Amino acid sequence: MAAWDLSVTVEDLGSDAPPVAISVASDLHVGGVILKLVEKTQIKRDWSDHALWWDQKQQWLLRTAWTLEKYGIHADARLVFMPQHKPLKLGLPNGITLRLRASFSCPVFQTVMGICRMLNIRHPEELSLLRPVEEKKKKKDKDLAEEIYDLTEVPLSSVSRPCLYNGMPAHFVDSPQMEAIYKMLSVTQPPPAPEVIAKQYRPASVVDKAHINGRWLDSSRCLMQQGIQENDRLWLRFKYSAFYDIEPKYDVVRLTQLYEQARWAILLEDIDCTEEEMMLFGALQYHISKVAQSEPQMLSTNAAMDDLESALMSLEVKMEGENSSASELLETMTAPELCDYLKIFRPKRLTLKGYKQYWFKFQDTSISYFKSKEESIGEPIQQINLRGCEVAPDVNVASQKFLIRLLIPAPEGMNEVYLRCENEQQYAQWMAACRLASKGKSLADSSFQSEIQSIRSFLAMQKSNSHGNATAGDESINTHSLVSPRYHKKYKPKQLTPRILDAYQNVAQLSLTDAVMRFLQIWQALPDFGLSYVVVRFKGSRKDEVLGIAPNRLIRIDLGVGDVVKTWRYNTMKQWNVNWDIRQMAIEFDGNVNIAFSCVTADCKIVHEFIGGYIFMSTRSREKSDTLNEELFHKLTGGHEAL
Amino acid sequence: MEQVSDDELDHGAEEDSDKEDQDLDKMFGAWLGELDKLTQSLDDGRPQKTLQKPPLRQETNMANFSYRFSMYNINEALNQGDTVDLDALMADLCSIEQELNTISKPNSTSRITTNSHYLTLKHNSGGKYWPKYKLCGSVNARPAASNISLDDITSQLEKASLSMDEAARQTSSSSSSSSSSTGSVGAVSEQEAPSQRSSVNSACASASSMDSLDTDKVLTGGEEEQAAKLKAEKIRVALEKIKEAQVKKVETPLCFVSTNPPTPLTPKLCISSSRHHSSSSLFLFSERIFEDHENLVENLLNWTRDSHNKLMFIERIEKYALFKNPQNYLLGRKETSEMADRNKEALLEECFCGGSVSVPEIEGVLWLKEDGKKSWKKRYFLLRASGIYYVPKGKAKASRDLVCFLQLDHVNVYYGQDYRSKYKAPTDYCLALKHPQIQKKSQYIKYLCCDDVRTLHQWVNGIRIAKYGKQLYVNYQEAMKRTEAAYDWSSLSTSSIRSGSSSASIPESQSNHSGHSDSGVDTGSSHGRSQSVVSSIFSEAWKRGTQIEENTKVWF
Repeated sequence: MAAWDLSVTVEDLGSDAPPVAISVASDLHVGGVILKLVEKTQIKRDWSDHALWWDQKQQWLLRTAWTLEKYGIHADARLVFMPQHKPLKLGLPNGITLRLRASFSCPVFQTVMGICRMLNIRHPEELSLLRPVEEKKKKKDKDLAEEIYDLTEVPLSSVSRPCLYNGMPAHFVDSPQMEAIYKMLSVTQPPPAPEVIAKQYRPASVVDKAHINGRWLDSSRCLMQQGIQENDRLWLRFKYSAFYDIEPKYDVVRLTQLYEQARWAILLEDIDCTEEEMMLFGALQYHISKVAQSEPQMLSTNAAMDDLESALMSLEVKMEGENSSASELLETMTAPELCDYLKIFRPKRLTLKGYKQYWFKFQDTSISYFKSKEESIGEPIQQINLRGCEVAPDVNVASQKFLIRLLIPAPEGMNEVYLRCENEQQYAQWMAACRLASKGKSLADSSFQSEIQSIRSFLAMQKSNSHGNATAGDESINTHSLVSPRYHKKYKPKQLTPRILDAYQNVAQLSLTDAVMRFLQIWQALPDFGLSYVVVRFKGSRKDEVLGIAPNRLIRIDLGVGDVVKTWRYNTMKQWNVNWDIRQMAIEFDGNVNIAFSCVTADCKIVHEFIGGYIFMSTRSREKSDTLNEELFHKLTGGHEAL
Repeated sequence: MEQVSDDELDHGAEEDSDKEDQDLDKMFGAWLGELDKLTQSLDDGRPQKTLQKPPLRQETNMANFSYRFSMYNINEALNQGDTVDLDALMADLCSIEQELNTISKPNSTSRITTNSHYLTLKHNSGGKYWPKYKLCGSVNARPAASNISLDDITSQLEKASLSMDEAARQTSSSSSSSSSSTGSVGAVSEQEAPSQRSSVNSACASASSMDSLDTDKVLTGGEEEQAAKLKAEKIRVALEKIKEAQVKKVETPLCFVSTNPPTPLTPKLCISSSRHHSSSSLFLFSERIFEDHENLVENLLNWTRDSHNKLMFIERIEKYALFKNPQNYLLGRKETSEMADRNKEALLEECFCGGSVSVPEIEGVLWLKEDGKKSWKKRYFLLRASGIYYVPKGKAKASRDLVCFLQLDHVNVYYGQDYRSKYKAPTDYCLALKHPQIQKKSQYIKYLCCDDVRTLHQWVNGIRIAKYGKQLYVNYQEAMKRTEAAYDWSSLSTSSIRSGSSSASIPESQSNHSGHSDSGVDTGSSHGRSQSVVSSIFSEAWKRGTQIEENTKVWF
């Protein structure tokens, strides 16, 4: 067979270097081409990751046994010889950017798997890559050279088979720098400055939200095929809102990143919530950031330490059990109590009475009050049991107002009682006592001191807010960083603080993991949770409508009214087809319900992949094995192109 | 006669207690000392005194419930050192005592009052010791303090008072003097008032200490006889008062509502274990289903003493309807529909077994009774996991504009009964939301009214899901497990009796079961008539169970 010249650009020689010409025959297989090429370059290095990329056809020549003829390569083919793994700038949900080597040759699905393996995120099928929203390039470069955390040095071999060391992938233990990066991944970020939130792009309508979904990369094709170049920027995000088997012990990074994505979705109003819910989210964020700062080692699990820890825990429990009778005796005998002069006020209609001062005694879960300290031996004027009551703060540090509002249920209805404290110290103690009592706990409860602490730190936060700008320090967080910009306009920080404090009292005792889980739970309980929007045009309809794709259903939203017009559930779905020529999706549901639509803001492959992806996610629970059924995923999401 | 003496008791207490118990011992000792004083004066009584049976025994049908109730009281006192109930008790005692004293000797009243005052206080501060003391006292009798039942205590108290009377009879026959000096009575009652109280305390705390009353009888001067009689009576009254105080709340009407009179056992009794009951009705014309995981006693404690609330033990299909036909509740559809069982299961799994419970999207126009007014106004309400919201006037229903109507942490949801006539509601399909402790009309109770019964059930069940979440599903699954177990058992028993039932056992069972004569033989025919398959199967299982017992009686 006749030999002919094939010119191949070798990337490692530099972009200016001319293509290397080698003499080949049509029956030479690709492996032979590579061998010749390497010999010709005279460079000694590890070429194992390199492969040939056929530029015109946008295709990798990965089957080294195939001949040039079989691939259909002729002399005019522009081939590039380059590594399959290239650096990529990866934006994580928590806002930091990593630079790491990702596969440019496998389908994106596998690329994501590789990335997740490197970052120690389980269930990579829930994540995907998308093109970032273009940022306005206004003096951005001068502003701040964004810090990028480099992971490109991580050897690929260790990524393919990561072994965990102290719960961390081994490659993160290599150096202090790497360990610092792992900490970035696994510890929640402090609340962003309000200006940062305000500056970010916020979708204003469903249509805006729909646009982001046009940016997802195609899971069945590789990065090169989708025009992604070396050092391009991509976002790694949770794409399918079906989070399977979250186990805080193993999912440190996953949980942290999920929390960050949820937090930003709420701060940027990507998902709607009510004011009350926003306050609770704010309170949880505050709590999480506070706990994460004080005990960052909490989340980073440690396999070796786990056993020890659990052993210690059980020992502790055992000791507690043994001591309980004795310690209980001691506790009940020296029952702690609070006594002080406080002012009380019972708001009633048409009352002109103000606050009256009495001697108050807090015992168990009850408050009793007396005319004076001297008379406290006698019968109290009244005794109020606080069990089951509602406790609300009414505090203004600037004007030295420390009010505890109690709403005490009684057969006749709710009794409102206000207690006025003189100072912070007094307030923190009595407030803590009231809160514990409302949950049926007495002052002897172990959480009493920490409750006081959390109240004081919250007061401190209000103090710093009232003195103009937030001063630097751990304790002072501007409450505006905890809520979406809408509330920046609506409330001043000092108006916002008591509202968040109000919600905070219900979560103040949560551990870091529990708080993160709670945040995610409330997020997942929002009515709009998990909805990915796409603007579509239904067959036979003349106007654009929005299709919402949820983990369990499709919804049709009328753009004019904003209402959900129709819901279809996946489990009534019989089949769905994509007509790739006219880019139209047709779905058939039980009972002869047929819908067809074309997609406006996203490629129909993306919609197809979403639906197939969710169906794939729902199959996971049935097969217990931990291995990912990649083939099934591609079958469900690939479409004809993949097969 | 019980052999337990003061010394033994003391010893027992010492044995049990560690160093931190020393205060306790002191206190115990003090009480016992006072008890001694009391018993010394108790050595005689009136022979003609007729025995008064305490009224408790008359309510045998309530016994079970009173037992549980008192257990709660005791446990409460034991565990939490809760002085509230005890205080009420003490207040009651004080008032009787005052009454008694004013009757017997008016001039000593003021003194007594101060005494009792002091005692109440002492008791208040001693509230902490109280449970521990009980622990020590009961060591002789039982290993665990929580095992003391009111019945035990009361029966022992009765015994004690009986023997006291007996002793009094004996002593009065031996001592001939029947004279009484009012002065000495006054002195005694002044002196004894505290000790009496403490003896009552200890009696209540531990029956065994009460027993010491009759073991330590020493004969003393007959002039104190009158006083002693008084005292004995006072103690008896006080004991009754104690019983009353403990039992009072128990007298909650419990209605067994069943369309099938012969079998009081509806499946719910077994389904919802012995702790939980199915439904409660309220003075406010509202009722709700108790959830399986709720503690009945905790709920009952919210009721006032003069409450007209009723506990109804009744079969309510609403309770598990949500799980029987989830498609009607979880999908937010307007029309009822059928669904394959497999899909139902999948739907329930999806709703309850995910990372978080998905509250069904329920929204729509409801009527709201305005605070303190008789009028009802329409509003557009939405249910979310975080509570119930409404759309303010002139706004779209975007989440951020919603106004929070109510958060569900502190309230329960009730079905309204006959609100149309009671509150002039526009329809009969009403629900109320209130804090369980509110028992009277109040502005804090929210009344809502739906246009149709379907909407009502959707809302009530939606609120239940938002409030209890996965717990509801767990309850249901456990209930199903229990009924399944009952099925197994019933089928087992059927096969096992077949052999024996042909023998002579049938007539006997019929004579024994005159109340439900249709047992045994004609179960097959009654099967079709009963209101639900499950309940009939259940009742049959129960009948067969009793039959088995009889069979074994016959055979062995």
